[in-house]
Amino acid sequence: MFHWLEKRPFFFAVGVFVVIAFAGLVEILPNFAQQSQPTVGTKPYSTLELTGRHVYIKNSCNACHSQLIRPFKSETDRYGSYSKSGEYAYDRPFLWGSKRTGPDLMRVGNYRTTDWHENHMMDPIGTVPGSVMPSYPWMFTNLADVDTAYAEQLTIKSVFKVPYSMGDEKILIPMEDGTSETVEIATTLAGANAAALEEAKLIVADMKNQDVKDMVAAGKIPEIVALIAYLNSLK
Amino acid sequence: MNKIYLAAIVTTLAMLGFTYVAMDIKGGLNDDIVNQLAILGAVVLVIATVFVVTKYVRQMQTDKATGDLTEENWDGIGEYMNEMPFGWSVIFLLTIIWGLWYWTAGYPVAAYSQIGEWNEEVAAKNASIAQRAANLTPNEKLHLGKAVFNVQCAPCHGTNGKGQENYQTGDLRAENLNKRALSKKYVEKVIREGSNQLGYAGGMPPMMLQDDADIDAVATYIEGGMKGEQPAQYAVCGSCHGMNGEGMDFVAPSLTAYNVDLVKTLLTSGTKKGEIGTMPREAKILTPLQIELVAAFVANGPATELEE
Ligand code: HEC
Ligand code: HEC
Ligand code: HEC
Repeated sequence: MFHWLEKRPFFFAVGVFVVIAFAGLVEILPNFAQQSQPTVGTKPYSTLELTGRHVYIKNSCNACHSQLIRPFKSETDRYGSYSKSGEYAYDRPFLWGSKRTGPDLMRVGNYRTTDWHENHMMDPIGTVPGSVMPSYPWMFTNLADVDTAYAEQLTIKSVFKVPYSMGDEKILIPMEDGTSETVEIATTLAGANAAALEEAKLIVADMKNQDVKDMVAAGKIPEIVALIAYLNSLK
Repeated sequence: MNKIYLAAIVTTLAMLGFTYVAMDIKGGLNDDIVNQLAILGAVVLVIATVFVVTKYVRQMQTDKATGDLTEENWDGIGEYMNEMPFGWSVIFLLTIIWGLWYWTAGYPVAAYSQIGEWNEEVAAKNASIAQRAANLTPNEKLHLGKAVFNVQCAPCHGTNGKGQENYQTGDLRAENLNKRALSKKYVEKVIREGSNQLGYAGGMPPMMLQDDADIDAVATYIEGGMKGEQPAQYAVCGSCHGMNGEGMDFVAPSLTAYNVDLVKTLLTSGTKKGEIGTMPREAKILTPLQIELVAAFVANGPATELEE
């Protein structure tokens, strides 16, 4: 048989191709499996949450915090169920991190609240005695960059088909309890800013800092509000 | 004797000599099994290398090509019909057998899975915890509850449950769990607007008292920790909260203490959002047993010294 192949370069090439293509299939096919799809209940980030995610990245929170709960009992006891790959479907880039100076934040929205974050980001040591986490006072005055987040949403919607609903188009996202939800983004930049402001108002209703409340009332969104929206969305 | 054998013996001795000297410089064997094994390995390696090299060099010097050629002939180059080396054939066959096992059973059935290990670990722990939980003394329960409290509750309620202060205002930012201190303002608000946060089924209906003076009297009475004379209007409340405000399990919370029922209900089905802030839904992380333990700990007063 090999003798026959060796004399026919064309069929030999076909044979080589088939063997190598098999290795390709083994790597490509699993990506179509259910486990590789977004986990049921995973939603893409809203405009304000994505803005907060940019604040998180900008301040390198991921240098001290991971977002990956490993399947060890000690971790699932403390943080909740272990991470599944489909939960990162809308994380671009993912923020797994590689070092835990502080605790994991993958599901911090389940056990920390807006008012807690407000205190903690301004005064970590006053909140957790002995904390080595730095304080981030400038976030209470710096304005958040909603425009960039909106631009990113438009891009990932058209390039990666992230299921954002827009205008009349409604894309249903399945939830754990069998219902489905939509995540809407605005059709214009002004609309996106207005929507982010509405989200921000819900957050500051639970905050105590008067300056931050005043800024939002005046139509501006400080970074801390966007960051808290993001942290609350981590579940 | 052939020169080759002489060279082999000299090389072997030289290399063993070097090894010995190097070992001596580094401090000898020290009776350490690892060191002894390493040296043994080095000696075997030296002898084996020299032996194999010598054998093949001899072969190149003396061997002549003999035997039958295969049919194929590539541009004048032929191939001998040699026997397959025995050891090689055995390994080849074993590899095929191993491959069959790996594809059919080894990988799909017996492969290592981290999630599987986690499942086993959790199941084993839960079983041993359940077994221990059945025989816990009340004091052990409090100690275990304290452990849960320190991890899950202390970041907000403080290590001894006394609460922490807000960085700006100095107000508490989570309830002091040692003493149930309902503010008058809050009680008035609950009477007027009702409450559905602690997780009691149905919650508390609003406007059971209509008159401002009545509301004020009841709120003043409750705020002080049910001290002084009980206003007659409190009877309305007493049907659910008990005439001494001690609460009724599964019906209404105690107004005087953080009892086990209140904490358990809050942790399993409530999300309290009050003047101070939001109490998160911890139940997503806590197991029923942990809730039981931490409730017992809170009801005992988190700042109370525990017996050893
Ligand atoms: C120098 C390392 C470091 C950096 C950078 C850092 N943190 Fe932390 N963080 C910690 C440590 C240590 C803790 C644990 C002590 C505490 O709660 O303050 C912590 C705790 C937290 C917690 C509480 C988690 C829990 O389970 O209690 C949150 C939320 C958090 N950090 C958010 C952030 C955010 C958001 C940023 C970026 C703006 C950030 N951290 C940057 C070290 C860091
Ligand atoms: C029908 C039964 C019922 C009656 C009558 C009732 N309550 Fe309640 N009360 C409840 C329940 C149930 C809750 C818990 C609500 C929840 O889940 O948030 C509650 C909660 C409260 C709370 C809030 C506790 C907290 O920590 O949030 C206060 C204060 C209170 N009641 C005061 C009163 C007063 C004062 C009266 C009389 C005017 C009264 N209640 C009458 C059932 C009742
Ligand atoms: C993220 C911070 C946070 C964590 C973690 C937390 N709590 Fe709370 N808790 C609060 C806040 C804030 C309140 C006050 C809500 C209000 O009345 O404004 C509260 C209220 C309560 C109350 C009810 C007080 C009342 O009078 O109605 C109980 C009981 C309680 N917490 C117990 C616990 C226990 C037990 C744990 C741990 C399993 C825990 N909490 C973890 C923040 C937290």
